[in-house]
Amino acid sequence: MVLGSWIVVKLGPSGQAQFSATSKAPGAMVITSDVLNTVDVPVRVTATRRDGAAVRLAVAPTPDARAMLATSAVSTVNAVHYPAGTMDLRASGAGTLSDLSTADVWRLAAKGAGSTELVVDQGRGPETVVVTSGDAKPLTDVTVTLAWANRTWFFEALVAATIGAVLAAFALIDLWQSRVIALRTDEAATGTTTSEATV
Amino acid sequence: MTRRAVTSSEQTSSEQTSSEQTRRGHPGRSLARRIRVVAGSAMCAVMVTSVAGCGVGDSLVGIHAAPQAKADTAPLTVDQAKKILTRSFTAAYLGESTTGQAAKTALQTAYTTEGLRGVNGRSKLAKAQPAAAQSLLQAPHPKLLAVSRGFGFPRFILAQTVASGGGLPVLHLLTSPDAATPYRIATSVEMVPPAHVNPFNPLGQGSPLVTKNTGLAVDPAKLMSLYAAQMAFPAKPAGRSPFVADPFSSQIRTGAAGVAKAVAVQATFTQTHKVIPSSVYAVGQADGGGLVFGVIERTDHFAVKKGQSVKTVGNKAFVLLSGKKSVARSASITTLEFVVFSVPASAGKATLVAAREQLVAGSGS
Repeated sequence: MVLGSWIVVKLGPSGQAQFSATSKAPGAMVITSDVLNTVDVPVRVTATRRDGAAVRLAVAPTPDARAMLATSAVSTVNAVHYPAGTMDLRASGAGTLSDLSTADVWRLAAKGAGSTELVVDQGRGPETVVVTSGDAKPLTDVTVTLAWANRTWFFEALVAATIGAVLAAFALIDLWQSRVIALRTDEAATGTTTSEATV
Repeated sequence: MTRRAVTSSEQTSSEQTSSEQTRRGHPGRSLARRIRVVAGSAMCAVMVTSVAGCGVGDSLVGIHAAPQAKADTAPLTVDQAKKILTRSFTAAYLGESTTGQAAKTALQTAYTTEGLRGVNGRSKLAKAQPAAAQSLLQAPHPKLLAVSRGFGFPRFILAQTVASGGGLPVLHLLTSPDAATPYRIATSVEMVPPAHVNPFNPLGQGSPLVTKNTGLAVDPAKLMSLYAAQMAFPAKPAGRSPFVADPFSSQIRTGAAGVAKAVAVQATFTQTHKVIPSSVYAVGQADGGGLVFGVIERTDHFAVKKGQSVKTVGNKAFVLLSGKKSVARSASITTLEFVVFSVPASAGKATLVAAREQLVAGSGS
């Protein structure tokens, strides 16, 4: 019941799960298909730079993204943790980043100053999101947030919480009745003994 | 009294035992309660352990295993491919309709390899042959015919245009050699009437690039090589050709014979045709056949006879390309021949479906 209620609160009525991580290492940031395509609903990716400079999000087939970043310094998001809302980051590579924006491998792209957002739909996976500055300059101190939502999860959690509450109620009633019976039996036993002693 | 007391004492002892049983519960009911408690505790333990672990936590928010890459899908969506076509054709048109550095940059954005050589040649010859009249890009809405299949390289996009004012349909092949390099036009070729192009696989599946030993009636590279060889002048003996006779190669052979005859007094004329290997692309079609693209470099060579001096002013194209108004020793003109064949699956002969030639260079001394 407690767990169900907590998840109900955590998901909210929209049934949204959210994860975030901040990369301090210079280079590009990558969200692999092991995270991006592990759900059946669209994933909203938001990237925010602390320095307010340009940031670009783009999604490409995983083999293409891998080829583009083969020798570059990247921080890779390769796992998420729920309900903690955290993501695992792994730094790799040391090469400089080339300007990736002219390539034709990107299915979707978005660019903004300081922050930008991209909604990646499912069905064409495996795909990888690459976060860059939009040119060859390396990114530093960028926070990426992933969010996806399904109202069904909220109602499932609600049902779980309700079932938990009913079970807990039965358990409490059972416990209470046991105590009452025990007390009554004690009283009855005490009364009989006293009566017999008087006789 | 003592006996009675003893009896009372026994009775009391018996009821106390009964009372103890009741307090602890009836043996059957007690066992049921214990089972309930154990089951409930176990269920709670399992739930808590699962959530604290990862299984239930992940499944609560829909997380499952990531899908595997499919080899039989196109790496581009239709929208992506159409945007690439629009970008390339816009840049090509800008490049051909303007001048200076901007035009050069636009052409480099639009074209690649032999396509760029061809359009540069056409630009140089613009004074002799107005570019607008020669442009193959005056169709506003290209029709997307095919895109590559799978995630290997090189990749291609195949499109067709028909000029708004009518004219022959044009086949365009755009290629990308690697993930970092954008698609550019490698070939634009007018179709030869009454040729038609067989259907390709659905755009979502993509079409495979056909390489050696993949079921076509003739190997694409061998086809191009034999086709180039049979156009040589002076003619060389050729074996059984794997292609149907066509007017394009006939015109070239006839033209070469005419030139040789016209310059016979002043020069010796020879013509060679050499396939550019990297230009050969064979795109698989739905019926198992393939559409083979290739570029052949033709060299017209004039060896000026001793004591002769040939005025070339009459050949405006040669003057524009070479800067020579007369030659005393030799001259050569390089032309690119863009050709497209329809090759059947397993048996039969290839048919030329599109062809075009473009002067690209000239030199003389």
